[in-house]
Amino acid sequence: MVDLGGGVQAIDWLAVAPVLVVACAAVVVLLADAFAGPPRSRRQALVPAALTLAGVAAAAVPAVRLWGERRSTFCVGGVLEGPAACSFVVDPVTLVFWGVVLFGTAVVALLGTAAVAEGRTPQGEWNFLLLCSATGAMAIAASRDLVTLVVALEVVSLPAFAMVGLRRDDPRAAEASMKFFLVSVVSTAVMLMGVSLVYGATGSMFLTQVDQALVTGAGPREVAVAGALLTVVGLAFKVAAVPFHMWVPDTYVGAPVAVAAYLSVVSKAAGFVGLMLVLGLGLRDLAPVWAPLVAVLAALTMTVGNVLALGQQHAVRLLAWSSVAQAGYMLVPFAAVGAAGAAGSAGAAGSGAGGLEPLGASVGYLAIYAFVNLGAFAVAAVVGTRHPRQRLTDYRGLVREEPLAGWALVFALVALAGLPPGVVGLLAKVVVFSSVSSAVTWLAVVMAVNVAIGLVYYARWLVELFRPAEVPGRSTYDVPNGVGVAVGMTFAAGVVLSVFPGLLLDPVLAIF
Amino acid sequence: MRTAVALNGLLAVPALFALLTGLLSRRERAAVAAAVTGSLVTLAWSVWTVSSYDGGLTPGSTVDVDWVASMGIGWRLGVDGISAPLVLMTTLIFACCLVALVRHDPPGGGRVGLAVLLLVIESGVLGSFLALDMVLFFVFFEVALIPMWFVIHTWGDEHDEPGRHRAAVRFLVFTVTGSALMLVGFLVARTRTGTFDIVGTAASYDASGPLALTASLLVALGLAVKTPLWPLHIWLPDAHSKAPTVGSVVLAAVLLKLGTYGFVRFWMPLTSPEWLLVPVVAALAVVGIVYAALACLAQTDLKRLIAYSSVGHMGFVVLGAATFTVDGVQAAVYASVAHGLITGLLFFVAGAIKDRYGTTDLARLRVLYGRVPRLAGVFAFAAMASLGLPGLAGFWGEMLAIRSAVDPAAALPGTTYAWLAFVAALGIILTSAYFLAVIRGMLQGGPVRPVHGVDATVELVAPAVADDVSAVRTPDLHALEWVAWSPLLALTLVLGVAPGLLLTPVGDAVAAFFGGL
Repeated sequence: MVDLGGGVQAIDWLAVAPVLVVACAAVVVLLADAFAGPPRSRRQALVPAALTLAGVAAAAVPAVRLWGERRSTFCVGGVLEGPAACSFVVDPVTLVFWGVVLFGTAVVALLGTAAVAEGRTPQGEWNFLLLCSATGAMAIAASRDLVTLVVALEVVSLPAFAMVGLRRDDPRAAEASMKFFLVSVVSTAVMLMGVSLVYGATGSMFLTQVDQALVTGAGPREVAVAGALLTVVGLAFKVAAVPFHMWVPDTYVGAPVAVAAYLSVVSKAAGFVGLMLVLGLGLRDLAPVWAPLVAVLAALTMTVGNVLALGQQHAVRLLAWSSVAQAGYMLVPFAAVGAAGAAGSAGAAGSGAGGLEPLGASVGYLAIYAFVNLGAFAVAAVVGTRHPRQRLTDYRGLVREEPLAGWALVFALVALAGLPPGVVGLLAKVVVFSSVSSAVTWLAVVMAVNVAIGLVYYARWLVELFRPAEVPGRSTYDVPNGVGVAVGMTFAAGVVLSVFPGLLLDPVLAIF
Repeated sequence: MRTAVALNGLLAVPALFALLTGLLSRRERAAVAAAVTGSLVTLAWSVWTVSSYDGGLTPGSTVDVDWVASMGIGWRLGVDGISAPLVLMTTLIFACCLVALVRHDPPGGGRVGLAVLLLVIESGVLGSFLALDMVLFFVFFEVALIPMWFVIHTWGDEHDEPGRHRAAVRFLVFTVTGSALMLVGFLVARTRTGTFDIVGTAASYDASGPLALTASLLVALGLAVKTPLWPLHIWLPDAHSKAPTVGSVVLAAVLLKLGTYGFVRFWMPLTSPEWLLVPVVAALAVVGIVYAALACLAQTDLKRLIAYSSVGHMGFVVLGAATFTVDGVQAAVYASVAHGLITGLLFFVAGAIKDRYGTTDLARLRVLYGRVPRLAGVFAFAAMASLGLPGLAGFWGEMLAIRSAVDPAAALPGTTYAWLAFVAALGIILTSAYFLAVIRGMLQGGPVRPVHGVDATVELVAPAVADDVSAVRTPDLHALEWVAWSPLLALTLVLGVAPGLLLTPVGDAVAAFFGGL
């Protein structure tokens, strides 16, 4: 912690480096595009994506160096004025999310190259927006005060509206963008209202100080409770929890597949980390109020998501509903926060986080979900190059005619369903179950039933993959190189984590 | 080291051969040969593994490696007298199934795919029997699911596509719900035990309090779906009757045993015999016995009849386990193995009948003694074994289960159990009734009942061959069928004559595993 006191803020540049690098990469992409003019060849059109990947790789370097450290910067207070409160903290939670965001951004950038051939999406702008949004997602994971958090969340969303609607002459994309925009703006307004109430009740924007104020009982508690509820509702829009999920299917289907992948993984992760920070760090003392509420939200979200996914014939729409259901699973551990007798996924009690251990399960699930869901979207992007209508029947014969993509999708689907050989998905569910099974058993039982419902639609899709194609050769693809790499990356990550799940789960479960 | 090679190898061999078979899929003969070789190597490997275990689950004879350290999930494998008979039965049944596939092309085609799936299922099932970690058991439990779903969905009853799809989905949904509930139960139990290691848990678990009861209830619920226990059996008749022959054999002979084995290995240590839950489970098992026997009397389809009979047999197994005595567990393991051999054989025969006559409708099958005498003879033998004829394997398990129910653990209500034993014995009589009726009707001809208002005497022969019955002789048992079935026939007889072969090691292992039961 660097703090000179006397109002001069010293900035820990290494701590902010990953965010800065991504932001700078965004500017570089935009400028390069502006100076180079419209691309003259297919190869040149790939330059923005390449720059994006380079930016992500460059951001990963300081992030890796920070691994295992705890750094804070942008602090106020200090030696004379009591404990310092910091706006920007790099700790294991931050780093895990940075990993998810960077991996997700890289995969989405690669998926974006599928649109090059079509020529309707300006690649420079698209990659610029992607990096801008990623900057916000990186920043939110490190933010520890409510203002930074809200601003970062908006930095995630604003470029995303544009990304959804960027494809030229596509009225559905424009409509999707509009819908997404309206819902998001409303949710931000609700959340701002909540934040201001929390601020009014506790007198601070810093999460640690909010927590202190609530624990010591300073300020009207009812106001804080109202603020907490409004904040939860606002964030529930972002993570698409039922009943705030209506925008998801239309937006995912209207947007290009790459953008849908981005929304379902990176943007959702940003919402989750926001929820986790606000509820876990700031409003921990109000857990008895919000934990049952989140439990009901979680149960509703997974049930509605799974049941409505059952009848879908459109692959991306199915993935949209499934991602709603998955968000429900991710919310489950929140219900056990602060509950008496919470086992905690870390096993050993007394890690000092005061009942936050279950949230480790949420982080773990989110990270695993990110890998496998990106895998499913990556293959959907491949199929979308020839079958833009994305009917499930378009996936017939994929395993036989395009084995890499076929098996990658098989793996992703069984992992999403939580069955072997997608052991990583199965363990993700075990982790979530274990966080609530003894504290909120009813929720675990609801989730168990939901896992079974979920299986039905994943299985329905799986069987199409194995059926021989109606017309031989109908499922062969000229896979764009970038998308091929994305499929390979997600598939490899999933397989490695299935064999050595400890690589991911051991550090993640130890963070709280 | 030797232990690790033996146990891990037993899981790896079928998986590797499945991979090899898949890679050879373009050359069908080679692929099928690889699959059969794989199943035979696995059989040999399991015999070697079992013969080299030293009798207990001591640290030296098990594998125990951290898998997900932060969760306390270990790669814990081991084999003892409880699991060894089931492991051997599994590898034998799978070897028989794959040998049977050599000649028999499934109706949907794509024999290689079916062989690959069978080997994958074998690997998962063996993993479940060897697992000594609750979560690992759950993981392997799930391995078999998706492949089995494919087997029913793709290769099931070729005349009834919507029916087989419905059966497959129902199988999947029920089983997954069950296993997920079981997992929740294990996780709740973990908060009491602090470990997923079942050996340690069995030795020192204190099953008391509402949390322990919740855990036990959830595990029992999950296993009751799999076993299945009445009234959660409703997925079973469809799945078993719509599956292809080898699928039915595997489902009945092997997959049901995951449930019964789970009851013995994973439910009993988490359960206190003082709870009301235990007599309730026993009572449901007995209801299942009677219900299944009555349902069998009403069946008109041979495969459905065999499927329902499984519900009854599983009832005896669970009744044995729910007595919480060494005798009861011996009976449970014995009856599991015997049911595997006998019902496997019955489904093989039913499949053979279906191949020859295109139907398993009991109203249309007549006088098989005259048409295919050897096949009919094998069926009669298996039916006799299944109804519990003394001297064959089916007798001992059920007799011991009833005997142990008369004398259950001290904490259990003795009078209730005596009544349960009495009703279960009535179930045996009903079982005899329906099997004898089938033998009389299908094999001997028997009195012909009017079917759908039409006098069925005209259908003395199956319609598929009715036109030129004199010209075409329906082929009797093929050599390969003899090869695939004879181990089952022989073992049914051997175990019936010398039950001590199995009862002694099981008894020792039960005493060692449960301490003072």
